[in-house]
Amino acid sequence: MKFQIEEVTVYFPYDNIYPEQYTYMVELKRALDAKGHCLLEMPTGTGKTIALLSLITSYALAKTESPIKLIYCTRTVHEMEKTLAELKFLHNYQVKHLGAAAKMLAIGLSSRKNLCVNPKVSSAENRDSVDAACRKLTASWVRSMAAENPNQPTCEFYENYDRAAGGAVLPAGVYTLEDLRAFGKEKGWCPYFLARHMVQFANVVVYSYQYLLDPKVAGIISKEMQKESVVVFDEAHNIDNVCIEALSVSVRRQTLEGAIRNISRIENEIDRFKDIDAGRLRAEYNRLVEGLALRGDLSASDAWLANPALPDDILRQAVPGNIRRAEHFLHVLRRLVQYLKVKLDTDKVEKESPVSFVASINSDAGIDQKALKFCYDRLHSLLMTLEITDTDEFLHIQTICDFATLVGTYARGFSIIIEPFDERMPLIPDPVLQLCCHDASLAIKPVFDRFQSVVITSGTLSPIDLYPRLLNFHPVVSRSFKMSLTRDCICPMVLTRGSDQLPVSTKFDMRSDPGVVRNYGKLLVEMVSIVPDGIVCFFVSYSYMDGIINSWNESGILKDIMQHKLVFIETQDVVETTLALDNYRRACDCGRGAVFFSVARGKVAEGIDFDRHYGRLVIMFGVPFQYTESKILRARLEYLRDTFQIKEGDFLTFDALRQAAQCVGRVIRSKADYGMMIFADKRYSRHDKRSKLPGWILSHLRDANLNLSTDMALHIAREFLRKMAQPYEKTGSTTGRKTLLSQEDVEKLGGNGAQEMLY
Amino acid sequence: MNNSEKKRRNGEAEEENEEDVEDEGRDAWERTYTDERSWEALEEDESGLLQPIDNKAIYHSQYRRRLQSLSATSAASRIQKGLIRFLCVVVDLSKAAGEMDFKPSRMAVIAKHVETFIREFFDQNPLSQIGLVIIKDGVAQSLTELGGSPEAHIKALMVKLGCAGDSSLQNALELVHDTLHKIPSYGHREVLILYSALSTCDPGDIMETIQKCKKAKLRCSVIGLSAEMFVCKHLCQETGGSYMVALDEGHFKELLLEHAPPPPALAEFAIANLIKMGFPQRAAEGSIAICSCHREAKVGEGYICPRCKARVCELPTECRFCGLTLVSSPHLARSYHHLFPIEPFTEVSARQLELSRVASKTCFSCRESLLTPGTNKAGPCAACTKCKQYFCLDCDIYIHESLHNCPGCESRRITPAAASATMS
Repeated sequence: MKFQIEEVTVYFPYDNIYPEQYTYMVELKRALDAKGHCLLEMPTGTGKTIALLSLITSYALAKTESPIKLIYCTRTVHEMEKTLAELKFLHNYQVKHLGAAAKMLAIGLSSRKNLCVNPKVSSAENRDSVDAACRKLTASWVRSMAAENPNQPTCEFYENYDRAAGGAVLPAGVYTLEDLRAFGKEKGWCPYFLARHMVQFANVVVYSYQYLLDPKVAGIISKEMQKESVVVFDEAHNIDNVCIEALSVSVRRQTLEGAIRNISRIENEIDRFKDIDAGRLRAEYNRLVEGLALRGDLSASDAWLANPALPDDILRQAVPGNIRRAEHFLHVLRRLVQYLKVKLDTDKVEKESPVSFVASINSDAGIDQKALKFCYDRLHSLLMTLEITDTDEFLHIQTICDFATLVGTYARGFSIIIEPFDERMPLIPDPVLQLCCHDASLAIKPVFDRFQSVVITSGTLSPIDLYPRLLNFHPVVSRSFKMSLTRDCICPMVLTRGSDQLPVSTKFDMRSDPGVVRNYGKLLVEMVSIVPDGIVCFFVSYSYMDGIINSWNESGILKDIMQHKLVFIETQDVVETTLALDNYRRACDCGRGAVFFSVARGKVAEGIDFDRHYGRLVIMFGVPFQYTESKILRARLEYLRDTFQIKEGDFLTFDALRQAAQCVGRVIRSKADYGMMIFADKRYSRHDKRSKLPGWILSHLRDANLNLSTDMALHIAREFLRKMAQPYEKTGSTTGRKTLLSQEDVEKLGGNGAQEMLY
Repeated sequence: MNNSEKKRRNGEAEEENEEDVEDEGRDAWERTYTDERSWEALEEDESGLLQPIDNKAIYHSQYRRRLQSLSATSAASRIQKGLIRFLCVVVDLSKAAGEMDFKPSRMAVIAKHVETFIREFFDQNPLSQIGLVIIKDGVAQSLTELGGSPEAHIKALMVKLGCAGDSSLQNALELVHDTLHKIPSYGHREVLILYSALSTCDPGDIMETIQKCKKAKLRCSVIGLSAEMFVCKHLCQETGGSYMVALDEGHFKELLLEHAPPPPALAEFAIANLIKMGFPQRAAEGSIAICSCHREAKVGEGYICPRCKARVCELPTECRFCGLTLVSSPHLARSYHHLFPIEPFTEVSARQLELSRVASKTCFSCRESLLTPGTNKAGPCAACTKCKQYFCLDCDIYIHESLHNCPGCESRRITPAAASATMS
């Protein structure tokens, strides 16, 4: 269908539209008009992606005089594929209605691992080794060597691409990763480099968060994006953590040992070069003296290391004299590694600010701040000069230089924390030195500054006023949408008491109380007997889960559960968890029924959907607060309090509740689906906790369900399941709750009628 | 009759769906009485006397809605229907059947309604047969072979009532498959599973069994008693059956009885087929013979197989000796109406009736006045869409549920098609 939103004709590929999708588009359009940033929360299963894509592409079509580009960031490759598939569908619809005028180029960009078509390269097992294998075949010196020596292997796909040069363009269309590979194979062009080249010209680019937020990658890929772009961060509820991770480095013993190995290898290489080609090192030295920009004149295949600091913070200066010579630089690195090693040998926790850390490096190891700052660029230049291609071997020394550059560059918003052992296992020494970034706004600031509009959207962004403070920006629109439903298909409950009416909680002083453990167990035993197919349980941490499962096992509760359903447990091992998940799904499919024990903040809680019969009930045992004794968290809280005036308690609760909302949100992925959510902790009934849940959960949380005991919850669950098992009617015409708007309805709505229509 | 109008609408809203807003606020105990909230129907007349409670109106409106929904589903009137059905009723008597959320227990409720169902089934499908299977302790056992005698089935079920152990859907399907797959091709193979449990403990891969059932053209339907299970839904989708979950006892009964009229035939079965049948004579009064079904000497009553002269007690059945299908002609005729249902009558408003040309304002079939006694105002009535005659609501029900002929249409024209339909 197509309809007008103010002056923009929106092409929407389906015959009907949900009212919340319509209002979402209206708000989004306002943000685009204002050329500002916006925050939009809309529950999953309401077609957020298609609403976004449809509005922004239509907007671009309407404003032909100033074409905008869409940069769509997803968290995983899987989400990227899904987005591109929807875009393809939309594009076909637009072309059908508008003809050739609607043609656009949309590509997905991913790592070489996902795009490479060279069978020799793509068979490597992980990302770094694929990258290295590719460089072995495509680095400029390798290719120039191949020009003289035909036995030198190169990548035919890259050669073909390079030969086609300017002629290598993608015709308009939507390309998923699979399409890119197919196109590359057919033409004999390397899809990865083709995609990277086409990113500048494409109307829509879909890629991962890191490509914009992590300065190491963004420096190469996203440097040339135009200002008139709309950047969308989908599923962005954890965006602050992604920003922080992009600027944080942790150094362990293994890293240092690896770095030492790397240094000696570089030394050998230098010696070798001195013998055969001393001129090359000299040339590099001269170049550094002249202060030539390191990048810029490099070919695409050589660009693989960009500065970890943000573009604005990189000094356009010549590399300082004391590290210009390769040998000198190696000495500096050696001293630095040695210094860090000594630091790691401590037996108590230490916390330092970057300023004092740099000062002590200067006095103890004799490396000044400027030299630190240039470590990364210098290493990069050196590795290039030495023509090193197996870059995956040099990750350790890269980490060290990363660290050095960041420490040298930033004085605020960071701290250095040295922990001799993991707090939870104090007997096993595992020293780690961490440079932690506390300020999420640092990494995302260049994105906000550079692009016209940034859209941050997710199913759970509550409380919506906290994100602008964390990321330090001013949204022109921030709104939370509810889901319009034909029936009440989610049933959130807050369970505060067990069947014996004693309160349940995972509060520190209560969690090991046998009564609480028993009550939690009883709750699950009762639930498995009345809920069909799959149940998912989330615990606050691995250690708590281990503890409670052990005591359930001893008291026979686990056996009672197994009478009704099979039990699967998430572990920290990815392979094991994948296997468990797979079997869990099979048990749900064949009617045996299963329970999955999982951990909030774990892999499962973030990325795995438990929709339909795979999750009819999710129980959140306790409030998933972060481990508050963690030094990093303490430091971050302190920073947040001092800089953004965010209270510690507020942030902790916000973070815990967004995790809880993420966990329970796993069960419902579409409107036809249904599921129950039990928050089993007495603290959830308190207003300060509860109010931080997303609106679409809160609107279904009735007052009567706020303070339940096990038996009451059972009763509600039974009725809910019966009610939901009745035939589902999509349009909701009989119940009088209209959730699908047809073309006429939308036209009738016009400008601002939509809000009244919704609620 | 503003009043009854209002009541009807009320009744409609309540029946409409349990999700209704009005219903939401009520407690569970109240909801059980929604169908018979007789105290709300009490009315006073002008002098303050209580008027008699009129449950009829509610009853009529409920009936009309059911009729409408039925005709809506089979909108295309000429659907081929399977008249000769072989139905296996699988009753889950695992531990879950002992639960008390239905009073007195699920098991007792199931037994009670299965009894009604079996009688209703044979009433509507005289040519069909039923077999009973129960699941207990993880295994399925056949309670009765396929047969046409309601009493035998009911008796067998009542004796075996009692629940224990796990439930296994796969075992039940395997057993049913073995029973049904040898049925001749003209028969419709159906399975109706009354499932209490929420899981199934199977010895093998149930998906294979489901595919096997699909291949054997078994139409499997499930009525669940507690919640929706994926595997049941999958089974029903694959085999073309329906999957419903009962909200309460009344709903359960309704769902069960929906399976009594024959379902539309599967496309694969839509081939014409000739079946050999015998029409036995009733044995002479007072003659004594040993019946072949119970092996007892009986005086009088009973029928004689036209081919082997064996004595059987009840019709329809299959002759024990020569295997001939024995039916009586009314049985055939009664099955016939499913193929040519009468279209539902349209409701006539009081105003329409008053304006109508029918001077007498009486029901066409029973000749009772259509005016409400006392007030002389027009009461509710219905009109046939074809012959445009008016009928009172009682006759409406009688015509659609039992008679299966419209007196108005029949008396107007005698065409060959209509003549053949008058057999009943």
